[in-house]
Amino acid sequence: MKSLDPRVQRLPEELPPLQPKAPLDQFGSFEVFVQPKEGKPFQHEGIVHAPSLELAFVLAKEAFTRRFTCTSLYVTDTRNVMVSPTTEGNQNAYDLIPSVTEHQGGEPFEVYHLMKRGKQHLHAGTVEANSHEEAFSKAKAAFGSKQVFNVWVVRRSDIRFTRPEEQDLWLTLPEKKFRDASDYKGGDKLKEFLERQSSKS
Amino acid sequence: MYGGGNTFEGIKTDSLAQEDPQKLAAFEARIARGEKIEPTDWMPQLYRKQLIRMIEQHAHSEIIGALPEGTWITRAPGFKRKMALMAKVQDEVGHAQLLYSAAETLGKSREEMINDLISGRSKYSNVFNYPTFTWADCCFISWLVDAGAIVNQLANAKGSYGPYCRALDRICAEESFHLKYGHHCVIYLASGTPHQREMFQEALNRWWTPMMHFFGPSDKISAHTEILMRWKVKMGTNDEMRNQFLDMYVPKIWELGFTIPDPALKKDPATGKWAYTEPDWEEFKRVINGDGPCNKERLAVRRVAEERGRWVREALKSPKMNYVTPLA
Ligand SMILES: [Fe+2]
Ligand SMILES: [Fe+2]
Ligand SMILES: [Fe+2]
Repeated sequence: MKSLDPRVQRLPEELPPLQPKAPLDQFGSFEVFVQPKEGKPFQHEGIVHAPSLELAFVLAKEAFTRRFTCTSLYVTDTRNVMVSPTTEGNQNAYDLIPSVTEHQGGEPFEVYHLMKRGKQHLHAGTVEANSHEEAFSKAKAAFGSKQVFNVWVVRRSDIRFTRPEEQDLWLTLPEKKFRDASDYKGGDKLKEFLERQSSKS
Repeated sequence: MYGGGNTFEGIKTDSLAQEDPQKLAAFEARIARGEKIEPTDWMPQLYRKQLIRMIEQHAHSEIIGALPEGTWITRAPGFKRKMALMAKVQDEVGHAQLLYSAAETLGKSREEMINDLISGRSKYSNVFNYPTFTWADCCFISWLVDAGAIVNQLANAKGSYGPYCRALDRICAEESFHLKYGHHCVIYLASGTPHQREMFQEALNRWWTPMMHFFGPSDKISAHTEILMRWKVKMGTNDEMRNQFLDMYVPKIWELGFTIPDPALKKDPATGKWAYTEPDWEEFKRVINGDGPCNKERLAVRRVAEERGRWVREALKSPKMNYVTPLA
């Protein structure tokens, strides 16, 4: 194959046989939550595929906070997120969540709300519970007066948080300006060029 | 980046016959109200199918689109241009990641999408099947192909499917750097030596037809897309998107003193519409069906990359992990 692409020059003479990807080739799914600014609630940003929670954290940092401001990030296995039904119009998702007999104490669960269809889920608060069902029920008591379209709960111990000593992940070098639109001011060069053109004619 | 020239599946008139008419009416009413559809909502099969197809083609275009520009990283003129181009190519691959995730929420796994790309079953934007002979070709892509992609992406970000719109909002934010960088590169060529000007003029001559193809076949010959527009899968016709691009960028190209290789190109001040010579749509069909100058090498590079990475993915695989459909 003749090509300008150095990668093509490095291709083997004969291409390997076409093997379909095995199932799970792209690993497990993890949900990513980002805090865009200090004091702002964490919001759901999307997903990554990774072979472990730890690597999911690393990949999420690259995929979701490479170019945007971020103060903290966390990830959890998609299977650990318990999801309520989604509603519309005036129906509150909390109205579809059954209340269960609640017990004292338990461990912390994080609660997320979909406040507007089309937007991201936002962190709403924390409840202490002994199971996901109980966490839903307690979240309903604590936050159920608000109209929301969907609720998620996640056991805190299932989340990989950013550790305090990892905060420097987002200290980017000032010389990375070349990735900002503001670093490309072609205006002067263009003006000078246009003036040269018009003086010629 | 991405062209509107995506191929949708032929819509048969009985496509909606099996759908529950009440659910369908509620679904359409929600879209008409301007509300987004979320992954767990009821949706007609046809909507799901066409969206998967479109988002998947968009993701593939980002991955394949990184190849013609990536070729130039080592040869970009100067350290600063190399760093910027590397950052841009990294962004494009990141866009693919975001888009694959959005498509996955509709139920097609990432493995299946990548299988369909490397086996040639799915399409990607036609424009990336052309070669980048010189640095000026690379600048053409960074400025004008990205500009075309932005026209499409800004429109699609107002579409009806929540996860796709959210991915596009992030993508559009990153594209502003690509566009500025690309324009900057072309201004430097335009105001440089006669040889530099000539290089860009030649690139423009080579890329004009693929650029016109980028927005897809003319409305006169493209399959009817009424239902896709009503469902806000498609946000404008191919000709509308092409016209928007011409309106925004032809004056900027002319401003730099370059000649666009189409003597018929001009704007009708009364209608605001651009007149142009229809590009060769037979060539478009030929290239999209696999017979373009670079189709084979683009897929070969992807396929070998998959093969060479296989051992890494296998070494990392854990029996405790499980692929599941992402939430949103
Ligand atoms: Fe892109
Ligand atoms: Fe692009
Ligand atoms: Fe781009």
